[in-house]
Amino acid sequence: MAEVGSHDYEYVEAGTIDVKDLPPLDAATNKIMKDEFTTGLSLSVFYFILIFSIPVMNWFAPAFAFKKIWGGITVTWFVTTVVMMAMAFIIAYVHTAMYEKRLKKYDIANK
Amino acid sequence: MMEALLEPKMLMTIALMGTIVYITYLTKRNATASDFFVGGRSFGWFTNGSAIGGDYLSAATFLGIAGLTFQLGYDGAYYAFCFSIGLTLLAIFVAGPLRRFGAFTVADFLAYRFHSKRARLVAVAVVLAISGFYAAPQLLGAAQILSMFFGTSYEFGIIFTCVVMIFYVGIGGMKGTTINQALELWIRLGAFIVMLVAAVYSGLHYDKILAAINSFSGPITGTSPYALDGNDVNFDGAAWTGTGFYFPTFWQTISMTIGLALGTIGLPHILLRFYTNPSAKAARKSALMAIGIASTFFLLAVYLGVVGRSIFISGTASEEVMRDLVLGGNNMVIPTTALALGGKWLLGLVIAGAFAAIFSNLSGLFITSSGALAHDLYANIMKKDITQKQRVIAGKVAIVLLGILYGALGLLVKDASIGHLVALAFTVAASTFTPIFILGIWWRGMTEKGAIAGLLIGLGVSMWMIFLPGTLPSFLQFKIPGIVTVPVGFLSVIIVSLLDRKVPADVNEFMKRVHSKESETV
Repeated sequence: MAEVGSHDYEYVEAGTIDVKDLPPLDAATNKIMKDEFTTGLSLSVFYFILIFSIPVMNWFAPAFAFKKIWGGITVTWFVTTVVMMAMAFIIAYVHTAMYEKRLKKYDIANK
Repeated sequence: MMEALLEPKMLMTIALMGTIVYITYLTKRNATASDFFVGGRSFGWFTNGSAIGGDYLSAATFLGIAGLTFQLGYDGAYYAFCFSIGLTLLAIFVAGPLRRFGAFTVADFLAYRFHSKRARLVAVAVVLAISGFYAAPQLLGAAQILSMFFGTSYEFGIIFTCVVMIFYVGIGGMKGTTINQALELWIRLGAFIVMLVAAVYSGLHYDKILAAINSFSGPITGTSPYALDGNDVNFDGAAWTGTGFYFPTFWQTISMTIGLALGTIGLPHILLRFYTNPSAKAARKSALMAIGIASTFFLLAVYLGVVGRSIFISGTASEEVMRDLVLGGNNMVIPTTALALGGKWLLGLVIAGAFAAIFSNLSGLFITSSGALAHDLYANIMKKDITQKQRVIAGKVAIVLLGILYGALGLLVKDASIGHLVALAFTVAASTFTPIFILGIWWRGMTEKGAIAGLLIGLGVSMWMIFLPGTLPSFLQFKIPGIVTVPVGFLSVIIVSLLDRKVPADVNEFMKRVHSKESETV
């Protein structure tokens, strides 16, 4: 397999294999991928529920969505332009924190 | 002459240009392709996070979001919300693995994953399509600012900006681009913060101005001398603060949410930035920092759009401000609001900030596309045995060609909305590279044919739905067609891969490389 990373990519011929003949991934990589994907998926599902709740609220519960909470600021204006901006950072922060925690765990396990 | 040169807008623009020239001069030494295309992978998370923010927060954010909010009210602010989602998804699913993979360009990912020249070639075409879509509105913003505040023609603005970019990226390469982008981000953020302070100091509190806008209905005093029909412009504040002002149905809103939320993962100039970090850990931290900056930026942009609308309906603004708000269109709301809030000096700072946004984003697009042309097409497909120096020269030649191409595209979009054009670029990216990167990183069953089919079908369907909506039944006509094009992109990859079944024999090695901890600092 060609080296990449700090090196340039070199085109190499590599064969293909039927997906049913593909050997399973090694246990360590499999675990890392599984942990990483599960965390990412859980956070994304949670995030998307929040994201889609805004148009749902706007179109199906307009009385609540457009209720004024502070001067002319409505519930939906506040959630869309303030809360969700913070949420984008919070979700990414939680993901990075969990990733660093996992890294430490792998380090300890390797030692 | 001297008087014109001492104008704050001129002084600040010259100061910005001077800084760019100085940084470009300091970073002109690009001995290898790695130096030129990925800055020697030497940038820490702070510089790179600032540069990602600089790349992401283009004219579409600095000028476009406030403009869309000014024009469309809540539906315009909704654009900002959708733009804010993508970087978070990118940080979760792509940032770390992509840095571990390494290499120089987005097309490298496909070429390496499938050992395929065909996949590289198709990826190059998609990179150029997305970058072209993205570059045209940036040039539009630059030309409009030059035209409105410096009195140049639209065509001159396009040519001038392209010449600056050719110099800036062609000489500085990724090193100069990254440092300039990082610096330019803070200029923009500084400009927005000064505008925020000026607006609050002027008593334009968020709650009060939204209440005033909401209760306004009827003609706006002082607009008739500049309106095409000679009558005062009419405005309905209640409709503006509600939903449905621009996106008339629930499904139109959902479609835009999908297209914009998933678009960032597929933007080549953003993806490329993750190759410039020294490690995957730094890549994640860079993404986190960029998300924090972007969210702050979006929040401020929406507020300033509301401030602009409030000034417009108040009837107390100067004739110059009213004229610029009517004639400048929604893309010029930020400079005009700055003029209204803080006079010539704040306008000067904002113009420098707008140029910073445009240069920063355009430089990212230039370097990405030059990589696609020089590294992917020339060095890896057309002519394989070339030296590092020849690669760098090829990169520089590609930048000149791109300047001409983007300039031509910029001339075609004179009357478009910057924010909306960029939203369409997001949709194309979401329908092409997003499925490729998510599935390519997380699914071993993806095949070369699946990837190529996904790119071609995703690109074709997006282009069709964007440019030829009239040929579609009404239920398929969307302003941002993500609800159709994104699932089509994903499904094309999955279905063709399942039918093909021929995965690369070394796919397990690839997965180990992009996911295992051992390759963390490769």
